[in-house]
Amino acid sequence: MAELIATRTGGARHAFAVYRRSLAAHFRSIVEYPADFWVMASAGALWQTLQFAFLAILFANVSAIAGWGYHEMLVLVGFLTLGGATTAVFWDGVWSIGSMVIKGDIDYRITRPAPVIVQVASLHVGMQAFGELSLGTVMLVYGWVGAGLSPTLIPLALLMLACAVVIETAVLTALCAVNFWVKGTMSVFAFLVNDLQQDVLRFPLGIYPAAVRLVAMFVIPLAFVSFVPVEVLTGRASDWWAFGPPIAAAATAAAAILVVRAGLRSYDSAGH
Amino acid sequence: MADALTIPKGHRFAADRALALISLKRRLAYKTTWLFSITLGGWQLLVGIVVWQNIIGAGSVGGYDWDAMRAYLVIGFVTSTIAWGSADWQMAGRILDGLVSIDMTKPVDFQRARAAEYIGGAVSVVPTAVLGAVAAWLLFDPQDPATPLAAVLTAVSVLLIFPMAFGIGYLSILLCFWTRRYLGIQWAKDGFVSFFSGMMVPLSLMPGWLQALSWCLPFPHFTTTPASIYLGRVDALEALGLIAAEAAWVVVMWFGARLIWRRAIQKVTIHGG
Repeated sequence: MAELIATRTGGARHAFAVYRRSLAAHFRSIVEYPADFWVMASAGALWQTLQFAFLAILFANVSAIAGWGYHEMLVLVGFLTLGGATTAVFWDGVWSIGSMVIKGDIDYRITRPAPVIVQVASLHVGMQAFGELSLGTVMLVYGWVGAGLSPTLIPLALLMLACAVVIETAVLTALCAVNFWVKGTMSVFAFLVNDLQQDVLRFPLGIYPAAVRLVAMFVIPLAFVSFVPVEVLTGRASDWWAFGPPIAAAATAAAAILVVRAGLRSYDSAGH
Repeated sequence: MADALTIPKGHRFAADRALALISLKRRLAYKTTWLFSITLGGWQLLVGIVVWQNIIGAGSVGGYDWDAMRAYLVIGFVTSTIAWGSADWQMAGRILDGLVSIDMTKPVDFQRARAAEYIGGAVSVVPTAVLGAVAAWLLFDPQDPATPLAAVLTAVSVLLIFPMAFGIGYLSILLCFWTRRYLGIQWAKDGFVSFFSGMMVPLSLMPGWLQALSWCLPFPHFTTTPASIYLGRVDALEALGLIAAEAAWVVVMWFGARLIWRRAIQKVTIHGG
């Protein structure tokens, strides 16, 4: 048993080392082509600036949306942005699962002594995320101070933010892994859900019909990325809801592992 | 042949038609993408309906009551479907892959050829826009056009979005002569169009200086112009003025792109000879 645990720990350490080196190689390539980095990071920052402007304009005309004020909405959008952007920095390669399956590129990854998903996920860095992270942080901090949230809530917020990143990563991985069965270069499902998340969840979930709320809470639990944490932080939901994000993170991570494993088992290469 | 090589511009209309048709067929071949765009567009409209109903309630915001806002959102759905409808990344790909150097040897005007392909591609989303608009009309029963003339002028202003979208798309892809990728430029362009067109939030809600800035740009014609004409927020003369402005932007962007092209092709390096 001790031997098994030692092997497992060693395996995890090795997988992490591979991941770290692969991602570091990509960061080095970003430094080689700085113009590309600045274009992408500026585009990310621009979208978040427009998001910020959108909320500022909206709240210059109305005082609240479903009882949520301007600063609370900024915290909500801040969580949404930071969850997605962090995933884009550290796990963006999963978007290429579809094209790798079609081209048979997974073959090469299977032969190497490291988890396939770790190798694939560290293939790319979403450079727009650097712009999103900076503006997302600005919105979160500005909203936090404006909403008068206590600094003692910061550790809880950081914990829920970490859970948000796990949930985002897991949901994205599982949806991209659908391409093991539904062949296509574009991860249509991941793209669709990602876009819907950005559209739907930048507003309080309470304004939507019950079906949407149920799906966002329990089917694809993206509500635990942004909505539930901010409800807890602003005291709208009872403290018990603080257990929601860690549970959702564990559940989605387990589901993603199962989907990826099943996908790899059904993978039959490109036939050449 | 010699003539064709010495006069690369002004190719025959048949070539444009053929390019547009090929582009349309290529788009229709990818049914998943088509289905995907209608699903996404439909969802965004539904989200807009829920959000704005909640915001406006029984009152009005920025001069829009709930009846007017429903019409605004449906018009926004149609115009955004057209604006995002074509594939400017395909044009960008020709520059990034270096295919543009082959294009220069062809007896075809590059800009006109891309315009033909762009319009052909954009036509593929017309069924999406029409079906979506009819379904939305039946579901949400938005306000009728202010006058029959307003309805006609709205249609004209919507049609002008096709060449407008090409102009902005083409000017954006020309930047690829100086960059290695298009994605960042495309996102920035999409952001500007969404925000300054009024798709994200109606311009009338913005502070005065931002409205003034928006109207100095081509973007408001993507949503605010057709919606304002339709809802009677502008009279017939103002509507004609807005349509004239749209047409002027089309012309300015077309010839502006020609000027930029002349500078941009000097950046083309053909490897190996």
